[in-house]
Amino acid sequence: MAEPTALLDAQARRWTLASAGLALLPLLLQLPTQLATVIAASALLTAVVSRRGLLPAPVRLLLVLAMLALIYLQLGARPGRDTGCALLAAMLAIKTSELRSLRDARSLLGFSLFAPFAAFLLDQGPLTTALGALAAVCALLALQRLAQAEGQASPAPVRQQMQGVGRLVLLGLPLALATFWLFPRLSEPLWGLPERAVGKPGLSDTLEPGQWLDLMADDAPAFRVQFQGPAPTAVQRYWRGPVMSRFDGRRWEIDRSRERAALPAVQPRPVQWRYTLDYEPTERRQLVALDLPNAAPPGTHLTADHSLLSDLPLASLSRWTLQSSPPMVYAAELSEPQRRQALQLPEGFNPRTQALARQWRGEVGNDDAALVERTLAWIRAEFTYSIDAPLPGRDTADDFLFKQKVGFCEHYSSAFVILMRNAGIPARVVTGFAGGIRNPIGDYWVVRRMDAHAWAEVWLPQRGWVRVDPTAAVAPERILDTLDDQLGAQGAAGDGGWSQTGQALDWLRRGWNDLVLSYDAKRQRTLLRPFGVDALDSGQLVAVLVLLVGGALGLMAWLLARGERERDPLLRAWHQLGRRYARLGLAREPYEPAQAWAERVHAQRPDPGLLALSARFVAARYAGARHDPASLRGDLRRHRPTSGAPS
Amino acid sequence: MLLQGGAERLLAMAQPRQPAPLPQRLDRRRIYVLPTPFGLFVGALLAAMLLGALNYNNNPALLLALLLAGAAIASTLSAHLALSGLTLESLSAEPVPAGQPLRLRLTLSQRGHRSRPGLRVDHQACRGWVHVPAEGRVEAELHLPTEHRGWLDLQRIRVSTTQPLGLVRAWGWFWPEHPLLVYPQPELHGPGLPERGSDPLHSRLDPAGEELHQLRAYRSGDARRSIAWKHSARRDTLLVREYEKPVGIEVVLDWSDLPGLETERRIARLARWVDLAEQQGRRYSLRLPGQPPLGPALGPAHHHACLRALALLPHG
Repeated sequence: MAEPTALLDAQARRWTLASAGLALLPLLLQLPTQLATVIAASALLTAVVSRRGLLPAPVRLLLVLAMLALIYLQLGARPGRDTGCALLAAMLAIKTSELRSLRDARSLLGFSLFAPFAAFLLDQGPLTTALGALAAVCALLALQRLAQAEGQASPAPVRQQMQGVGRLVLLGLPLALATFWLFPRLSEPLWGLPERAVGKPGLSDTLEPGQWLDLMADDAPAFRVQFQGPAPTAVQRYWRGPVMSRFDGRRWEIDRSRERAALPAVQPRPVQWRYTLDYEPTERRQLVALDLPNAAPPGTHLTADHSLLSDLPLASLSRWTLQSSPPMVYAAELSEPQRRQALQLPEGFNPRTQALARQWRGEVGNDDAALVERTLAWIRAEFTYSIDAPLPGRDTADDFLFKQKVGFCEHYSSAFVILMRNAGIPARVVTGFAGGIRNPIGDYWVVRRMDAHAWAEVWLPQRGWVRVDPTAAVAPERILDTLDDQLGAQGAAGDGGWSQTGQALDWLRRGWNDLVLSYDAKRQRTLLRPFGVDALDSGQLVAVLVLLVGGALGLMAWLLARGERERDPLLRAWHQLGRRYARLGLAREPYEPAQAWAERVHAQRPDPGLLALSARFVAARYAGARHDPASLRGDLRRHRPTSGAPS
Repeated sequence: MLLQGGAERLLAMAQPRQPAPLPQRLDRRRIYVLPTPFGLFVGALLAAMLLGALNYNNNPALLLALLLAGAAIASTLSAHLALSGLTLESLSAEPVPAGQPLRLRLTLSQRGHRSRPGLRVDHQACRGWVHVPAEGRVEAELHLPTEHRGWLDLQRIRVSTTQPLGLVRAWGWFWPEHPLLVYPQPELHGPGLPERGSDPLHSRLDPAGEELHQLRAYRSGDARRSIAWKHSARRDTLLVREYEKPVGIEVVLDWSDLPGLETERRIARLARWVDLAEQQGRRYSLRLPGQPPLGPALGPAHHHACLRALALLPHG
């Protein structure tokens, strides 16, 4: 094989480099900016410098060492996926230095295909996916260009190149899709899950002042919901997440002992919401559900505080089918340890709050509900909402209630619960999300990360835990719509905030999530449910897969071969006739004239019909005697070899 | 060794198994497709990607790998179709003396309406490239090395392609039943034509001759150095010298005149003489043992007949 080592022409070289660069792009976008910039710069530099000739080996070695050092500085020595991806990107960048022959170009292209793959391990968003697909198509284009160079064919115009690759991709598509949906998925990974999840940090287990600022500025979706049946009204759209009842003076924490404890009795209202929740990946196991979830779906469990936890980390997009009902009575009885926990306060914090609570308690007597009302009225009258509140000092509640009087949900809920506990009312902080935007195109709701919210629950005799949202007392519109809507809602009405384009994009994104990202072994088993097959076992799955793949291959071959079909119908009929005789071992040799063949056949097994037909065929085809081509075609099609007994 | 033997046996099983008359058509059962080394590399790469994607249940990565795999499979079919229906219509080759490359011209044609670029034509170690246009024909040229005079039997001619992606190589064989003639290699340095029986009175004009024959008027196209400037200066017109060389009209090239030489050297000398006589434009006849004499005659046909007779003399 001489060709693979053949030198690369300038155009093929450019194609290869462009395609490798494009493959590197989605990966670079996922790496730390500094590292990505250096890798991109060195890739460009290497490609330009080595255009004239190979870089000397010591220089290349130096480059490799420099890259390794850089990655070590940026990511540390921890072997893991991030480091692996960075290494891959760096090696690809350096590999451009040895691009001399066809073989070099091909190996560069092959390795560069790993780059989008690695990028998908870090992110599965639409941008990465689009870039990855683009890189794959470009790699195919470059491969095609290289094959032309190998075949010494003159390079085709770009348009034709694209047509060629487009044809291959489209032809391969049915096969790829059939395999995608039917190839048996692993319900358990063969080896360990990646250590860095694709997702962003979710709702945290703790709450302290200033902690949520990043979260509240992030308009990425946290989850999407589709209701089967009626949707809850705005004041009912509280998505319950972690419930925090331990307080150390500054920080609220979940009471871990209640994770596996028994659920308290709930007497629900007659309303029932049924919905499907597509939860974006996070690093945690925490899920959310509408206040209050009726039961935990398989793979999850409810804590004693009705907070929903998944059994496995939610490292990839997951779908949950849930039911919730607003409670009529939620935990009518409070045990003594629970009561103590719900009244727990650290010693020596917030003296003014404590004093106010005692004063009010004296004024309203035993009526807890009146005390709650009074507090809310006070907040409504004197407080304002702002996301830019200053950080409180040591006595968080005192600073907020008596000095700043401005803040957002984390201040309000925390101070409110501290006040309630000081007044002897069991209370706790509940975090989660509130609100959501309806997408009219797909009839679903998007809840964004910036919709994260914290509210309070107080325990009242006979009614049990009751949700109280002090933030809503100040700025109901901030909660029930979302923050951002108010800022940008001047023009947009109704669903607000998001423009039509944004809605359409989110709808597409959701479709992608639905069709591709959240597709797993569980959904694969129920794939044929619309056709009455409830659960496919793996044997059936493989059978369907084989069937469809066979079909796709057949379709592919047919589509490709269609172009090769003889277009002259007369000739086609003649060839068909020839094939009938070929089955009897009387095939016409390619060099044999039609008439000679017919005579040979006739000599072996008398067939005067064939003699006449071949004479007519020759006359029609070569002598231009086209009296009635249709009838000749018909006769050719109808003619069958005689039984062949020599007479 | 075992593997190689197996490969050879497999090759021997491939169609066609013996030479056949032209035209020959590559139908789809006579086309073989195997991955190239690069194709195997890409296959391994895709397998790794698939496994990784399945393990992490990473659907975009899986889709990417499957998309590439689909395109790769489509490319194998496409490569197969790039050969299917290709016809070797005819072949021709001008005989050359042994030792010189034989230019074998193969006419390939197709009826499909898709052009087929980058087809490689191999015959043993020689290789040519050809691009068959849609519904057209094209000539491929192979330069076969020749070593011995006589018939050169063609081996199987492989037509192959790695288009469109270079992942697989599709190939098929033509085996034309069409021996090619190779002339004997003439002696490089040897005696001139035997002038036995020539008539010295006969002479013919020859610019390379030594005796001045006559002067004649200049005709356009005459060589400048043949102009007799002195004579021309005395007249008004340009005069040209014509030389003559005394030659026998006819040369007899006889095998039996060359005793003592071994067979191949005899053949080489006779071949040289045949070439010389043809160059000098002299009628010649060739007498070989056990064959009727050829000639006397002159011209390409006679030249070919003589060299063919020499080429086909039994080896020994």
